Amino acid sequence: MKSAFSPRLILRLLFQPNNVFKELAELKPSSIAVFFKVALWFGVLPPLFAYIGASKFGWRLGTVEPLSLQKEILLSISVAYFIALLFGFISTVIVSRWMATTYGARQSLGIHFAMITVVGAPLAVGSIVHLYPDVFINILVLIPALLWSMYLLYRGLPIVLHITPERGMLMSSSLIGYLLVAFVSLLGITVFLWINGIGPLMGV
Amino acid sequence: MNGVQLHQVLEKNIGLLIFGILFVSAIGGLVQVLPSLFQESLKTASPNTKVYSPLELVGRDIYIREGCSTCHSQQIRPLVAEVERYGTYSRAGEFVYDRPFLWGSKRTGPDLHRIGGKYSNEWHRIHFINPRDVVHNSIMPAYPWLAERAANQDGDIKNKLHVLVKLGHPYTDDDIESSGSMLEGQSELDALIAYMQVLGTAYAKGDQ
Amino acid sequence: MSDPAKKLSVEIYSDRVVTTLVMFSVIWAVIGMLAGVYIAAEMVWPALNFDQSWLSFGRLRTFHTNVVIFGFGVSALMGTAYYSVQRTSHVRLYASNLAWFTCWAWQIAILAGGISLLMGLTTSKEYAELEWPFDIAITLVWVCFAIVFFGTIAKRRIKQIYISNWFYGGLIIVIAMLHIVNNLALPVTLTKSYSLYAGAQDAIVQWWYGHNAVGFLLTGGFLGMMYYFLPKQAERPIWSYKLSIVAFWAFTYSYIWAGPHHLHFNAIPEWVQNLGMVMSLVLLAPSWASMVNGIMTVSSAWEKLRSDPSLKFIVLALAFYGLATFEGPMLAIKSVNIISHFTEWTIGHVHSGALGWNAMITYGTFYFLVPRLVGGNLYSVKLANLHFWLALAGTILYIVALWGAGVSQGVLWLSLDDLGELRYSFNEVMAAMKPYYLLRLVAGILFFIGTLLMIYNFSKTIVGRRTIAVRPPIESLAVA
Repeated sequence: MKSAFSPRLILRLLFQPNNVFKELAELKPSSIAVFFKVALWFGVLPPLFAYIGASKFGWRLGTVEPLSLQKEILLSISVAYFIALLFGFISTVIVSRWMATTYGARQSLGIHFAMITVVGAPLAVGSIVHLYPDVFINILVLIPALLWSMYLLYRGLPIVLHITPERGMLMSSSLIGYLLVAFVSLLGITVFLWINGIGPLMGV
Repeated sequence: MNGVQLHQVLEKNIGLLIFGILFVSAIGGLVQVLPSLFQESLKTASPNTKVYSPLELVGRDIYIREGCSTCHSQQIRPLVAEVERYGTYSRAGEFVYDRPFLWGSKRTGPDLHRIGGKYSNEWHRIHFINPRDVVHNSIMPAYPWLAERAANQDGDIKNKLHVLVKLGHPYTDDDIESSGSMLEGQSELDALIAYMQVLGTAYAKGDQ
Repeated sequence: MSDPAKKLSVEIYSDRVVTTLVMFSVIWAVIGMLAGVYIAAEMVWPALNFDQSWLSFGRLRTFHTNVVIFGFGVSALMGTAYYSVQRTSHVRLYASNLAWFTCWAWQIAILAGGISLLMGLTTSKEYAELEWPFDIAITLVWVCFAIVFFGTIAKRRIKQIYISNWFYGGLIIVIAMLHIVNNLALPVTLTKSYSLYAGAQDAIVQWWYGHNAVGFLLTGGFLGMMYYFLPKQAERPIWSYKLSIVAFWAFTYSYIWAGPHHLHFNAIPEWVQNLGMVMSLVLLAPSWASMVNGIMTVSSAWEKLRSDPSLKFIVLALAFYGLATFEGPMLAIKSVNIISHFTEWTIGHVHSGALGWNAMITYGTFYFLVPRLVGGNLYSVKLANLHFWLALAGTILYIVALWGAGVSQGVLWLSLDDLGELRYSFNEVMAAMKPYYLLRLVAGILFFIGTLLMIYNFSKTIVGRRTIAVRPPIESLAVA
């Protein structure tokens, strides 16, 4: 079974990523266990931090006056954020599993759940910066977190999925392609919702 | 013959391939672009839209020369916030004498379509010589050389007007004759400021 | 020569012109990207304009776009077109002296053109800024390019015209059509002209041109590069021939219509805007068809990655191509465009394509091509790998920085308070952009350093070497 959610997993990812990967390579985790014991809790962190930070400080986009939103709106935004992350996470797992056939990688859904959870962990933990919701500070913290996640992806994927580093390189790059598209879709959908009234008050 | 076989005919004949590419790529332009070139509303001046005076024209050409449209747009969209910020939205009929158009693709700096009359000549003078003297955090470059160059430095205002007449702009012979003297004693800075002050004035302040 | 046997036996591919074009391409990449880094720095520290007209952002930005597109990009396309058309036709270039003319004339045109832009001789129409004497010169060179390229295909020894040639052919034909129509103007002096079109009509023509310059030069031409060089590097054929047929014609048809998405909510007829939006969305499918073709081809060639750094570039190039060709249609949706138009988001989108797709696919192709042209090995695979990571980091940082900047700008400009008044002044929003501009500068520097490593690597690879002579395969000579 996948090790339970604990700060130790994060520390081990930071200092001994290879060991974590080697352990995962031997495991046959269950998707349900990974999702409900670990992934879900990681996924709750960003919206939770965002809600707390935005209600306490207001969204700052670098201007003098922060954007304050009512509690109900903040709540619905946080819920929407959670749903977006959920959708992003699950779709990435499914896409990864779908790509596994092309790249000769392990096909068990559970292992893909575990791998994506581990790869995404730095971003989930890094989202603590949402407690102070200044957009620029967030980008400053989340970019290193993103780079760390990408490093874990390229490093860990071949080990965990039992393929050669070269095949892993190709599969990781394809996954990054998917993630870029998924993220920009999120931006687009967000903006679309804002323009159509669900979000900050704008004069359009 | 199925699709692939049909295509292989194309693949074995460079002439057909060239023709095919030209034909297929021309369709979009013919449907979308060509009609607009005949659309009267796009080439009819809106009321109060006049040709640029010689000084304003020189100013506009300086605006082009210095690449101002890389940072400034001249197109106010019909959005509530945008109209509130910049003035009434831009109509096609205001641009019939704009060769080329200067709508821009980027607002590193603010939209300028209705800047006319918003700031005094003196404000513009200081701003162009060094933007940071009036806008402290501005990232706009300084343009001190404009004050040192004469507006009719290149001496081709008459040629410019002749060409514009050929393109349909209603300048009279008198306009062209007197254009040189209208630039006398004016600097490029004067010309650019004159252009700034005429922008968007076809619609008076408060128009919706 | 009168003896056909003698003529056949000494026929070699005309590759020295390819090597020259590749070298110029890389030199322009360095110059153009240096200009890019400099203007990015000017946006953070405007003092860097030094009150000099030729250094000022307005002129230098135009210099940057023209050098990277027409210097770096077109030289790469010309060189790879000449290389690949010969090998897919098994015949030496038609009129190879004319090919040399196109090579040198183009470089001179770009150099002189670049200088003219710094002097302020510009039409201001994006990617068509060069004034009319240059327009004419470029047209002449382009006609010669067409003669060489299509002439080579006309005398080919392989009956079937390979797909990369359709895309390069599309590049040549469509760019000619766009360039000539959009640049129509009446000259006033040697250095100034007035556009034949005015106002809204000019806008429509300009963006028919501008969008399709991106479409057929930056997208189509480089797809031609991909369709030839990727199978060569992967040592297997393109994954799906049928898909490439559909991709090519759907692409060539749909791209042309997308121009008006640059003019959403501008003073042009609404039907033109809406048509542009719809066709931009339609365009997603043929664009991605080529991406799928490329990715599926390379995914079976993974073992090559061990020794070949260039495939890494190609794979990421395809991923960024996927992103850019998805983001484009998305930004063309009017609701999204309300936020994104006039913001840094557009610039971010441009560079995800320019850095992520164009530069990376070219770099991958060059890392493969340059050693082969001189019959040696790449000087340093390690440096190439380092370049890869710098390019990847630079591109991602660039995109993320400008996503942040662009969305912020869009929202803040339109934000109202509870009384319905504008919440933020333009100035406040502009001030908020500074940190993003700084991040973008760092990103550009990373990418630029990678490019410097590449030019160093190439110079060490070719020093003391010459372009090797390669003969078309003998068997096809017998069939001629």
